[in-house]
Amino acid sequence: MRSHVKLSAVVAAGLVAALAGCGGSTGPSTGSGGGGTNSAASGDCSSAEVFCVGLVTDVGKVDDKGFNQAAWEGVEQVKGELGAQTKFVETTDPKDYAKNIKQFTDAKYDVIVTVGFLMGDATRAAGKQYPNTKFIGFDQFQADPVVPNVTGLIFHEDQAGYAAGYLAGLMTKSNKIGVVLGQEIPPTQAYAAGYENGAKAANPSVTVSKVYHPASNTAFNDPVWGAGEAKKMLAQGADFIFGAGGNTGNGALQEAAKTAGAGDKIFCIGVDLDQWDTLPAAHPCLITSAEKHEKDGIGELLKAIKGNTIKPGNFFGTAGISPFHDFDSKVPADVKTKVADIVKKLADGSQATGYKAG
Amino acid sequence: MADPRDEPSGADQGVVTTQPTTEATPPPVVPERGAPPPPTGVLGLLVREQSIIVPLVAVVAALLIGALLIRAQGVNPTYAYQTLFTYSFLTADGLQGTFEKMVPLILCGLAVVIPLRVGLFNIGAQGQLMAGAIAAAATAHAVREAPGVIIAVVAMVAGILFGAMWGSIAGALKATRGVHEVISTIMLNSIAAGLIDYLVNGPFKDPSSPYPASYSAPDASRFVPLGVVPIGLPIALVLAVLVAWMLRRTTLGFQFETIGRNRHAASYAGIKLSGMIVLAMAIAGGLAGLAGSVEYLEIDPYRYQDGIAGSLGFDGITIALLARSNPLGTIPAALLVGALRAGSSNLSFNTGLQPEIVDMLLAITLLLVSLPIIAKLIFRRHTAKSSALASSWGS
Repeated sequence: MRSHVKLSAVVAAGLVAALAGCGGSTGPSTGSGGGGTNSAASGDCSSAEVFCVGLVTDVGKVDDKGFNQAAWEGVEQVKGELGAQTKFVETTDPKDYAKNIKQFTDAKYDVIVTVGFLMGDATRAAGKQYPNTKFIGFDQFQADPVVPNVTGLIFHEDQAGYAAGYLAGLMTKSNKIGVVLGQEIPPTQAYAAGYENGAKAANPSVTVSKVYHPASNTAFNDPVWGAGEAKKMLAQGADFIFGAGGNTGNGALQEAAKTAGAGDKIFCIGVDLDQWDTLPAAHPCLITSAEKHEKDGIGELLKAIKGNTIKPGNFFGTAGISPFHDFDSKVPADVKTKVADIVKKLADGSQATGYKAG
Repeated sequence: MADPRDEPSGADQGVVTTQPTTEATPPPVVPERGAPPPPTGVLGLLVREQSIIVPLVAVVAALLIGALLIRAQGVNPTYAYQTLFTYSFLTADGLQGTFEKMVPLILCGLAVVIPLRVGLFNIGAQGQLMAGAIAAAATAHAVREAPGVIIAVVAMVAGILFGAMWGSIAGALKATRGVHEVISTIMLNSIAAGLIDYLVNGPFKDPSSPYPASYSAPDASRFVPLGVVPIGLPIALVLAVLVAWMLRRTTLGFQFETIGRNRHAASYAGIKLSGMIVLAMAIAGGLAGLAGSVEYLEIDPYRYQDGIAGSLGFDGITIALLARSNPLGTIPAALLVGALRAGSSNLSFNTGLQPEIVDMLLAITLLLVSLPIIAKLIFRRHTAKSSALASSWGS
């Protein structure tokens, strides 16, 4: 019996030590999110002077290296400038969207950011119910009739795709490039159309092979399928692989990164955010990413709310391509100039992408 | 001289006098050879009620271990638990959330309990729930012009029937081909998921939705809670009582229990095994299917879309084990799990703890309930022989 007690004491001690370690490493991030420990110091959100911004994630974490993280970083980026008090709640069950939004409306937050198109309905419903609270719907297209206090932050994926395709078109040696996409839904269609048109504009003789994941609940989380499709394209001579579909696309990028000649003859392009920061496994081939400037979009909207210049409906954030990082020296100077020129023209509207929504 | 003699005789006297007192206590009923006498008094009560005591102790122990985890994240555990349970039980929103989450948990718990009594382990409540939910979505859309009550009833009946059909596939495979139900129900979960994927992307897709989702439940058919009590809750409670009554008081229940205890004896006594197995799985599937259709009618977003089923079917296993396969036990078990789930977002809002702390608490509880450790520590040799989980029979 005594030996049992000793053993369990050792186990318990180990457990506590391990947990203490975990707590230490994640402490700062939870501290910035949760307010329980500093609730005494924080102001009362119902008073007019205190500007409170709350964020509800889609099913996922604020450090998911994806749009939840981008949205939260966008909030934190302007926190100081706006003197805002910020907090997030992570959703674990898609049936809790409304309840999680209500946590913030109950606490009289001024602005609530909801992340992801799945939360669109819940956000609009909350907007109607709480007309004095401003809502930012990240990735949520606002169809008519718009709710006056809800602004959807969306992006021209086709512009990011066009810039990436333009780069690929200028740089391809084999005149064959490929794109591996998630399920065929408007955002992936926009990426694909932009990529294809951009590549053809830069190099009329280029051929683009594209493939969508069949409709399924793993369409954006099927890296094995993505890798397989990338492998086929590479075997057929493609030297640029654009992976646009969450983890499915990541699988394609990682496959390209493992292929002989990655970084010299074979290149890959990430999607949504600068994947150089989020997908180290793709570093050998990751020349750039077709990027939606999500953080900047959130920041701009928050400033507009603070300055009372916010408009309901849809707000288009900017889109383009990420820095070249280690590939900076491998991209010829004239290519850089041409691509930068196109990005500028896309932004000011003088360059169309040929993609029609719907 | 007298002194040395007195002492041993006094000692003798002592032994002699004590002997009658020990014999005066009623001698135990002749025990099996080597088995300890059944304890009496408080310990006896504890031993007899160990199916209640063990989960209770497990919950308390899990909360204590959870307190360590919460402490390790720099939050006062007392404050955290107070926040969690105050919200779940003492606020209108929280209580309604707790009740809403209880409904599918009770029903899925029952869907695991009934097969357990027959000696089958139903891992397929998830697939049965999904089958019920999609059937409810399809039929509700088909009869969308009807009055709300009729839509709701049709959707629930369709959910029960389709869930029952889904469950009875595993039952029929077991009864006719001897396919182990653990394997077949797990596989049927995946088949249900794949089939529904196809349906919500194809024939059942609501074209107005930007992502794959079924048509939403017609407004008139949606369950509006009575105060904080969702309509599904009385349904689930009544069914829990009915299942308990069925198992204790009816021929069917007797047949189920007999098969669960010894299927050879049951077969010899004239109980038709194959029919009973299919029936048990069909009832289980029907209950899980009802859970799916109630979720569809009761919970925002009122439509079938990815993630709606969550892990409810698997939570049913948690509930059944916490309840120690007692149908009435699913109610307090679901209350606990529902309260933890409903309070998690408020907990994370107020303390900054990750909402998954709640799942950790449940996992620890379940581990402690399933492992014989607690029972062994408290009851030593009086531990009840077998847990229901271990009794599943293959063929």
